[in-house]
Amino acid sequence: MINRDDPDEDILAGLRPPKPIAASPYFRERVMRAINEEGCRRKSWLIRWPGWVTAGCTVALLLLLIPMLHTGRKASAGNLWAQSIEALANAKSVHIIGRIRTLPGDNFELIGTKYDFVPVEIWRDYTNPPQWRVQKPGRVVAMDGKTATMYISKTNSVSSGPSGAGYIEWLRPMLDPQSILESENAAGAETQTSEANGTLTVNVRRKAGGDLTHDWAKNKSIAESDHVSVYHLDSTTKRLQGLEVYVSMDGKDQLVADFNDIRYNETFQPALFVLQIPADATKLLDASEMKPASVTLAGPKEAAQYFFDSLAHERWDDVLAVYPANTVDSRIREYYGGLQVISIGDPFQSGLYPGYYVPYEIRLANGEVRKHKLAVKNTNPKHTWIVDGGF
Amino acid sequence: MVAATAIEIERWPQTTEEFDRLIGLTQDELIQFATYRLGSQTDAEDVVQDVFVHAFKDRAKRRAVVEVRPYLFRMVRNRCTDVLRSRARANTWRMEARREKSGHEVQFPDFYRLLDQLPENEAEVIRLRAWSDLSFGEIAVAVDAPVPTVKSRFRYGIEKLRRLMCPQGGLNQ
Repeated sequence: MINRDDPDEDILAGLRPPKPIAASPYFRERVMRAINEEGCRRKSWLIRWPGWVTAGCTVALLLLLIPMLHTGRKASAGNLWAQSIEALANAKSVHIIGRIRTLPGDNFELIGTKYDFVPVEIWRDYTNPPQWRVQKPGRVVAMDGKTATMYISKTNSVSSGPSGAGYIEWLRPMLDPQSILESENAAGAETQTSEANGTLTVNVRRKAGGDLTHDWAKNKSIAESDHVSVYHLDSTTKRLQGLEVYVSMDGKDQLVADFNDIRYNETFQPALFVLQIPADATKLLDASEMKPASVTLAGPKEAAQYFFDSLAHERWDDVLAVYPANTVDSRIREYYGGLQVISIGDPFQSGLYPGYYVPYEIRLANGEVRKHKLAVKNTNPKHTWIVDGGF
Repeated sequence: MVAATAIEIERWPQTTEEFDRLIGLTQDELIQFATYRLGSQTDAEDVVQDVFVHAFKDRAKRRAVVEVRPYLFRMVRNRCTDVLRSRARANTWRMEARREKSGHEVQFPDFYRLLDQLPENEAEVIRLRAWSDLSFGEIAVAVDAPVPTVKSRFRYGIEKLRRLMCPQGGLNQ
């Protein structure tokens, strides 16, 4: 900024800030929350009218709705699914904007009623081959027609796989709004349908999936929680207009996800489906590409012990025998290197996760004590134990 | 300040991920400019947040904008002007009002107040030159004026500042 040869530098120097000003901590998060709220705000014509007009219209609407509610007008759910699928048959693209109570950067499955809302956006181009992109702050997955690529900015890591790779988990059905309704119907979920004000509303109530004898995973994903999905479809076109998901806990339904801005037939730039990955990104590997551990790991607890011992002694090659990546990112090295293991508990299974959760307590080199569950699984063809998350 | 990397923004962002990146790249320089313009970092952050939300809301409309960074400065500058006008209507001087309300006010050297004695279009070009890393070409986008005009305003403004600061001669005399 300073140009010593500039003849006006003497004046400019006196005007320059004595010290640079930086944004407050969490400013960025605050703005992204506001952007998300803006993106998710339902377009309501009511709020644009003066109060007296709104009141008048509300009364008129109620007068129209009362007979409808009284007669309990309902559409047949099965018929509705069929019409909705047909309505989307000619769609060229769909763009879904919403928000989920989750952690930025974490997997797309994770939810928590105490978490703040995080913006989520989905693009689906019904080209041949189809292309799509799903993203939230800190994590993005794009499928260019052949390969799905996931980039996690927090760990600067990238993973590639086939279109069906499990990168987007619960959000996958959102790529096909027509089939999401079909799958709900196929699952035989409890359904209530009503019609009012030009909108068909379908409430689908489902029980938590998986074995929750150990309740660690309960309510940590939508599929592992008792939940209600509320679908809004245009009465005329039968196109999906919105979706809200409520987790039922402690006797009430709490909103954890809503997608109320769904746009059809937008034109997307091809670049949207191709990620620009930093050259120094860590590559996450398939289990078959990993080097074997220097000792035989008998089970999840041994795998967890091996992982933490390797981090404790900063044996990065050994870390890579259980952590599926081509290198250990410098941030992981700095954060976990030299840790001390306080305890490692007995593994358990919970919910829909096919692996095990291993409780652990560690003291980091900076003195911080961390207590959590390491996710470990060996569901790959070679049954190699790999660390899947939880650190 | 992250101006060097901010130059990499080549088109108006269209996705929340792109906005997240844009905010990361430009928040400090925009807040710095607004803070010195308004005398309060709290107010500056409100203004910049408002600008980002509007930038997101109107993203489709601004798809063709390629000078993203200077355009954001233009939005911040306009929003700051609105805030200053509303303060003037409330008959408060910008610094005094903020001192009472928050502890985040910025101390201005008296020198800064000399800018208030310049024609506004000249003062604004000098502020943008001094408080940001924008080039004259980018300042032209930010103030919506041709580059030669921007350079003239800068030159006239600097000359006036010199006279205001040192009525008897140059700074080094």
